[in-house]
Amino acid sequence: MTSGTTTVPRWRVVRDRRAAASFWRREPGPLPRLVIAVGAVAIVLAAWWLATRPDGPIPPLFLPPPGDVAEAFVRLLSRPYLGNTLLQHVGASLSIVLGGWLLAGVVGLPLGIAMGWSQRARWIVFPVFQLLRPVPPLAWIPLAIYWFGIGSPARMFVVFIAAVVPWVMNAIQAVYSIDRLLVQAALTLGASDRQILTRVVCRTALPTLVAGARVALGNAWTTLVAAELIAATAGLGYIALNASRTLETGILLVAMAVIGLLGALFSSGMQLVTRLVAPWARDRATP
Amino acid sequence: MSVPGERLDWRAIGTASQPVAWGAAALGVLLGAWLLATTVTGIVPRNVLPSPVELIARFATLVVEPFSGSTLEGHALASLTRWVIGVGAAIGLGVPIGIVLAWLPPCRAAFTPIFEVLRYIPPFAWVPIAVLWLGASTTTQALIVFIAAFPVCVINTQLGVAHVDRILLFAAQSLGSGPLRMLARVVLPVAAPFVFTGVRIAFSNGWMALVGAELVVGKQGLGFLISQGQANDSVATILVGMVTIGVIGSIIDVVLQRMQRRLLPWQPASAHSGTGRR
Repeated sequence: MTSGTTTVPRWRVVRDRRAAASFWRREPGPLPRLVIAVGAVAIVLAAWWLATRPDGPIPPLFLPPPGDVAEAFVRLLSRPYLGNTLLQHVGASLSIVLGGWLLAGVVGLPLGIAMGWSQRARWIVFPVFQLLRPVPPLAWIPLAIYWFGIGSPARMFVVFIAAVVPWVMNAIQAVYSIDRLLVQAALTLGASDRQILTRVVCRTALPTLVAGARVALGNAWTTLVAAELIAATAGLGYIALNASRTLETGILLVAMAVIGLLGALFSSGMQLVTRLVAPWARDRATP
Repeated sequence: MSVPGERLDWRAIGTASQPVAWGAAALGVLLGAWLLATTVTGIVPRNVLPSPVELIARFATLVVEPFSGSTLEGHALASLTRWVIGVGAAIGLGVPIGIVLAWLPPCRAAFTPIFEVLRYIPPFAWVPIAVLWLGASTTTQALIVFIAAFPVCVINTQLGVAHVDRILLFAAQSLGSGPLRMLARVVLPVAAPFVFTGVRIAFSNGWMALVGAELVVGKQGLGFLISQGQANDSVATILVGMVTIGVIGSIIDVVLQRMQRRLLPWQPASAHSGTGRR
C-alpha cells in the first residue's frame, strides 16, 4: 500500500495504488472496460438463446428466442398490426407524448417562474399544488377516461398531469435559488424588476429549466405507456398489452424494446439540448 | 422537494403568518368554488364532479361496505402488502448489488451496459409480460414494484459508496483493517444517507408503479378500486381512491423523512438530492 507522505504528488499516490491493488479493486482502462461490457452482453444474449432453444428449459410462450423477436420486428415494420404499422404506432405515441409535454411546459413554466419570483404567488399556489402532487399521475387515468372517453384527449390529459409537476418544480427551484448577489448587482445598477426577471433570472435559471424539461419528458413517456395499456386504440403500450393477450411474445418484446429505445433517445436528446442551450451547466434536475 | 429554507429576503415584505393566511385563503376559495359549482348552483353535474359532501359520504360508505370485493381498508391493505414485498425485495437485492458494483469496478463494467439498456424500459411496460409469466397475482404486482424500485436502490448505493473519501480508506487500511471491516466501518456509514435517500425514492416510485399495475391487472387494491369506480360510473369512488392513494403515499414519505433525520443525522448536503427518477 502507499505510504502517502506529503511530498508525493496526488497523481503519484493514485498510480501507485492502482499498481498495488488487485484486479478486482482496480478501475479497468477503456479497452478492458469495453471487452468486459461486450463480453457481458454476449453472455446474456447467449444465455437467452440457449434457454429458449426448441428443447431448452424456457418455452417460447414465456420468452421467445432472439430470432423470433428480430423476425417480429421486421414483420411489424412492413405489415400492419392492429390497424397500423410499427412506425404509425410510434407516431401515435410520440404525438401524444410531445403534445402533452409541450402543453405542460406552456402552463408549468410561467406558473413555476411566477411562483419562484413572487412570494405571494408561491403562498397562494403552493398549498394547492402540494395537495395535488402526491397523487400519482397514473391514478388520474380512470378519471381521465371517465371525463374524456377512450380517445387521445384522455391520454394527453394524463401526460400533461405527469409532465407539469417537474416543469413547475424546476422552474420554482431555478428562479428561487438564483445567487442573490447577481440580483443585488442588477438592482444597484438600476435595473427594474422586469429587467431583472428577463435579463438575470431567466438566463441564470436556464440550465435548471432545461433539466426540468428533461425530467418532464421522461415522466410523460412513462405515464403514456401506462395510459396506453389501459385505454388506447393505437400506440406502443396498446400493442404490448394486445400481444400479451394473444400470446405473441415476439411482438411484445419488440414493443418493450422500442419503448425503452425511445425513452433513452429522449433522455440523451434532452442532454444534448442542455449542452447546446447552456453549455456552462451541470445537470441539476429536481425530480 | 427541497426548496431551500432561505427566503428571498430582497423581496420579502411579510411576517411568518402571512403565507399560511394566503395559502388557507386560496384553498378556501377553491373549496368554496367547488361547493358553489356542485351543491349550491349545480352548474357542474353530479356525474362529472360530485360535491365535497357526497365525497365524504362515499368515503364513509366505502370504509364500511365492500365495493368490488372488499372495503376501502381491504383494498389499501392489499396494495400495501404488494408494495412492501416489492420494495423490500428491491432494497434487499439492490443495496448489496450497489455495494458490489461500486466496490469492484470490473463487475460494474460488466453490469452497467445491461442495466442501462433495461433501465429505460418503464416499469409499466413490464406489466404485459409479467402477466404472461406470473398470471394476475400478487407476485405480478410485486414484480412491477420491484422493477420500479430496484434501479434507484442500486444507483444511490453506488453513488454513496463512490462518495467515500479515499483518504479514509487509506487510513483504515494502514490501521490494519481488511476489506470487509473497511466496508462495515468506513464505507457503510458514509454511504448510509445516500442509500436511505435511494430507499425513499424507491418507496415513492414503487407506489406509483403499483397503482399503474393495479389498474391493468388484479382483483384487489386501490388502483383496482379506482378502475372499478370508472367502470361503474362512480366518480366519487374514483376520487376517494385517488385521495387515499395520495394520502398513503405522502404519509410514508413523511415517516421516512423523519426516520432519515433521526437515524442518520450526519448526512452530507448532497445526499438529499440523490439520483431520482430517470
